Amino acid sequence: MSVSDLPKKEVNVLKGHEGAVLAARFNKDGNYCLSCGKDRTIRLWNPHRGIHIKTYKSHGREGQLQIMFRWWRQTNLLLGCGIGRVIRKFRGHDGGVNAVKFNEYASVVVSAGYDQSLRAWDCRSQSTEPIQIIDSFTDSVMSVCLTKTEIIGGSVDGTVRTFDIRMGRELSDDLGQPVNCISMSNDGNCILASCLDSTIRLLDRSSAELLQEYKGHTCKSYKLDCCLTNTDAHVIGGSEDGSIFFWDLVDASVVSSIRAHSSVVTSVSYHPKDNCMVSSSVDGTIKVWKT
Amino acid sequence: MDSDEEDFVFYGTPIAREDDVNTSRKKKSVAEASGQLRTLAPWKQEVRDEEGRRRFHGAFSGGFSAGYYNTVGSKEGWTPQTFVSSRKNRAEVKQQDILNFLDEDERAELEGQSLGTSSQFDTFGFTAADHARKHAEKEHQKRPSAIPGPVPDELVLPATDSIGVKLLLKMGWRRGRSIKDSHTDVAYDARREARKAFLAFSTNDAKTQLADSEPIHDKSENFTEQPASDDVQSSQNTPVYVLNPKQDLHGLGFDPFKHAPEFREKKRSRVSDNRGPGNKSALLMNNSLFGFKSGKAAPGFGIGALEDFDAEDEDVYASGYDFEETYAEDIDEPTKLIMDSKQKSVQKEAGALSGFRLASNSDYQLERFDPPVVPKDFVPHHKFLGPPETSYKLGDPGPPEVPPPQDNNLKLLIDGVATLVARCGKLFEDLSREKNQSNPLFSFLVGGNGHEYYTRKLWEEQQKRGDQTKLQLDGKLSPRTQKMTAESRGKILGERPLERSSKDLSTSIPSTDAIHLQYNLSDTFTDPSSYSEMPVVAKPFIHDTAKQERFEQFLKDKYQGGLRSTDSGRASHMSEAARALERLDFEAAAEAIKKGKWSKEISTSLTGGMEFTSGGFVQAKDTQAQDAIPKEVHVKRTEYQWRPSPILCKRFDLIDPYMGKPAPAPRSKSKIETLIFTSDSVKATKEEETIIVKRDSYQMPQPEAQGISKDAADNESGGEVEVENVERPVDLYKAIFSDDSDDEEDTSIPNEVGNPEKKAEAANTTLNRLIAGDFLESLGKELGLEVPPELSSSTNKAMNSAPPKETASANSRIYSTYSVEDSSTLNVPHGREIVQDRSSEKREPVNGNLIGNSARSNSTYAETASLGNQVDKNISEKGPLQDRKFKTPSRRHRSSSSSSEDERSRKRSRRRRHRHSDSDSDSSSDHQDRYHSRSKGKKKGSSREKSSSSRSHSKHHKRRSRDSPSRYDYSPEKERTETKRDKHKRRD
Repeated sequence: MSVSDLPKKEVNVLKGHEGAVLAARFNKDGNYCLSCGKDRTIRLWNPHRGIHIKTYKSHGREGQLQIMFRWWRQTNLLLGCGIGRVIRKFRGHDGGVNAVKFNEYASVVVSAGYDQSLRAWDCRSQSTEPIQIIDSFTDSVMSVCLTKTEIIGGSVDGTVRTFDIRMGRELSDDLGQPVNCISMSNDGNCILASCLDSTIRLLDRSSAELLQEYKGHTCKSYKLDCCLTNTDAHVIGGSEDGSIFFWDLVDASVVSSIRAHSSVVTSVSYHPKDNCMVSSSVDGTIKVWKT
Repeated sequence: MDSDEEDFVFYGTPIAREDDVNTSRKKKSVAEASGQLRTLAPWKQEVRDEEGRRRFHGAFSGGFSAGYYNTVGSKEGWTPQTFVSSRKNRAEVKQQDILNFLDEDERAELEGQSLGTSSQFDTFGFTAADHARKHAEKEHQKRPSAIPGPVPDELVLPATDSIGVKLLLKMGWRRGRSIKDSHTDVAYDARREARKAFLAFSTNDAKTQLADSEPIHDKSENFTEQPASDDVQSSQNTPVYVLNPKQDLHGLGFDPFKHAPEFREKKRSRVSDNRGPGNKSALLMNNSLFGFKSGKAAPGFGIGALEDFDAEDEDVYASGYDFEETYAEDIDEPTKLIMDSKQKSVQKEAGALSGFRLASNSDYQLERFDPPVVPKDFVPHHKFLGPPETSYKLGDPGPPEVPPPQDNNLKLLIDGVATLVARCGKLFEDLSREKNQSNPLFSFLVGGNGHEYYTRKLWEEQQKRGDQTKLQLDGKLSPRTQKMTAESRGKILGERPLERSSKDLSTSIPSTDAIHLQYNLSDTFTDPSSYSEMPVVAKPFIHDTAKQERFEQFLKDKYQGGLRSTDSGRASHMSEAARALERLDFEAAAEAIKKGKWSKEISTSLTGGMEFTSGGFVQAKDTQAQDAIPKEVHVKRTEYQWRPSPILCKRFDLIDPYMGKPAPAPRSKSKIETLIFTSDSVKATKEEETIIVKRDSYQMPQPEAQGISKDAADNESGGEVEVENVERPVDLYKAIFSDDSDDEEDTSIPNEVGNPEKKAEAANTTLNRLIAGDFLESLGKELGLEVPPELSSSTNKAMNSAPPKETASANSRIYSTYSVEDSSTLNVPHGREIVQDRSSEKREPVNGNLIGNSARSNSTYAETASLGNQVDKNISEKGPLQDRKFKTPSRRHRSSSSSSEDERSRKRSRRRRHRHSDSDSDSSSDHQDRYHSRSKGKKKGSSREKSSSSRSHSKHHKRRSRDSPSRYDYSPEKERTETKRDKHKRRD
């Protein structure tokens, strides 16, 4: 993918959240987009047409609950229920929840909490107890990634821990810097960890080797997302000054940066197939970018 | 024959012979008639018809088939449809319709209400035809017809005329004619006349030409066209079925000229002669003169000579060569093959028709427009001059620049109106236009004098306004400042005046520049309040004066506003990258300073807890981060064992890696870990001893807390060092033979219900261990490792678990250090245990050492046990029950060791809570109690428990001695993490 294919042109601005938007995510096929905000709502959008489809309310008593569904079968799970009622409520985290993800089969929800734990919740049974609590972290767990066999969590204690269910082992990779957000490359070999020292680091998952560091943006106090393009050619990260940075994956040079929002860019999410991107910001807007 | 019949296979039921049936029925009826059945009670009699069939069913006879014949008319009667459902073949949900519930007449009524075209407005006659058909059917039923039975609808179709047809007919349209403009019909006659005259004119010439050398295939095609006479051609929209009536006596399809096409011509000429002159020539004219319109006419279709050419008549399959062109060739213009058909026909006319002259100037000239020339540098998509939001304005080129009108007053007026309109919108313009319609001064509004200038001015104003609003948005200025111009606002804010006015921003600034400008602007308008507070600037770069200077300059730039000078001359010696880096540093520093000032407001008002605020981490970092060159981060990978819960594995569709295995240690229990950990635990036990010693005499030096075992060993007596040496090989053995103990563990788990059998089991286990221990000993000897015959710490343990007799005999020096009270309290439960143990089984192993060894060998479980044990302890420590309870703990602990990790953690948390409350309420006495109870439990329970409990013991002893002896805050959780960390440290 050449630089010109990077989604730098603003196509739509999705407005509706009152207050900051904490995260925006594409669904699996990229047709819809889900966002959650400080106003304790989750909103469903069609980013390509710029329409707000639905609002899901009543999540999170503290407002800290960030829902980042990997949302793998949106039609069944969310659109299908139509009314948008709360179908399940899991309680148990002692603090706020920083990230939530479904696994491959949507049978388990794994949540990362401020209470230094990862909790896995069963979606198939009626039980509201977590089926697994992983509490080996020593600080707030900021984000979680799931593969078919692994649970990966990034924590403020500076570690990225991989819990391999199949092998029954835990791999703890200590980065030494608080890890803000982790995201996995599309080939599943690497992990992108956004650290609080304004650096995004690329880790090799198998060898825990630090492959590359991406700098230039500001990330010191917010939970800012980073992601890879769907071709794994570029790294995208938001900055606290409201711009979005594009790095080349290999040589870590800032390929481009766009001034996207007037405030902190909290999250970026890349379309699974097209050259399209959504970004959310503290200024309350979600923007859709295309080439 | 019989055998043959056996081989036959019969299908179906044989037809009963009629005679038999009849006779039986007849018999019955006869019997009835004769009154034989009369004897039956009336309710037993059956009503039968003359055929002897049963006639009444259901309700009348009380049978199941109620209503079959008489009421509902279906076999099921009123019985509901049977429910059919299977996994594969689901009963389909029937879409119920109102029609399902209506009777026939009701349905008809309903249908009568349905929407349909009334016959009056039924243009295409569908409904009417239907209606008529129905009507005809009724009629038909009324009177007999020649054809018996109902006539198929398709065959007999009553004629109806739709209203459209009626209208058309009234307007003069005749059936079979195309609907055309009336004038074409009018012109039709005239043209026909002209054509007739023309045909007569050209007959002779054409005929001669035809005669000599017309290609045959053309002829044959033309031949079909020939009979298409004028009257037929006049009707274009009705199919002409008979174009070529059969005129010969040959059979159908027989072509006499098939192999001799030459003669076809002769024949045809004869025919045409018969039919009259001019026929053939009409055809020719059709081709040559009028055919230019029909360049691609399908050959062989009956297009009228003067009819307009329709799109449908064009032959899409026609090749480049049609008969027309070949004809042109014949008349000696073979070179012009592919040309514009029109031109060609014009040229044809030149030579083709005698009696015609080529017009000197043709008034019919096909106009051709060349496509506009695309400039070389044209880019096929639009490039916006500005950022997307304002692009619709900037992209608009606007009306051309117009010099202002001479009249200065008019110019002023126009300017004023334009400004007003730009501000108030189009509505104002309309309003004023309406109001000042008669006023000549305002004629520019309606396109009079100065209109162009007005439009230009208006556009400019709008541009300006757009820019202003944009700037205001960027600067987040309050809406009331909207009325200010950019200049005045700039003056107020003290910013450097912009070099470029907004006017040429619209036209001349390249897009990148515009963005840059906007960027700068938005940076420029940081809240001015910050400037006033900025003088109190911390100096983060004191050590580097030059840098500090630059930083201050940067701050000034940042907070004073104005465009930043892009050429930073003062730092010219720096490279671009370095400058950028420094600028980032400055930004960070400024941010940190600012945040230090009012971080509270910002973080709470804007983001409200989204920032990381843990431990002032951010700010500390910020202030230090500027010059701290980010050091290389090395990722340290450590591997632990982690046990996913079985249900998690199930949900992830994976096989539980620990399936069938007992509950593992909480974590950090890989082999390497175990080695380290066991030594740790050993050390812990060791420390416990020292602590015990210490407890008696408080002056003892505090051993290094959790330190490296070496240190601890140094502090300890030689015995401990020995222990250290001893334990290692045991761990090694454990690593080798751990399976053995695992299995034992497995088998023992289910039997923990606490009956004498269990004891026997335990005895067996111990025996096994004994043997294993022997083996280990010998192995150790072989390997040259020292396996202690009697151990210091393990002896201690062994003594705890062994009968007191053993304890007494094994007089280790460490045990001697036990305080009197301790030993006394220890002894009581010992006694009890012995009694119990003895009663249960006689084979209790006597060799405590070996027990100790083997116990340690599965210290993995010891770790687990420690947790459960503590729970138990918690329970058992309560008061006088403890003595009796000492048995339960062990059981519990073992079961807890087998329980899942989750359960354990839950317990842990509960315990923690409990602990806290406990420790608050009761003090050291409680602890004492606990200690005793534990030691009791320890003694009785497996040595596993002992090791772990002693370990934890040692820790809180340490702590206690370190802090205050009275307060005892015991948190195993903390200890665990502590040990973990220590371990990490050591590993690192």
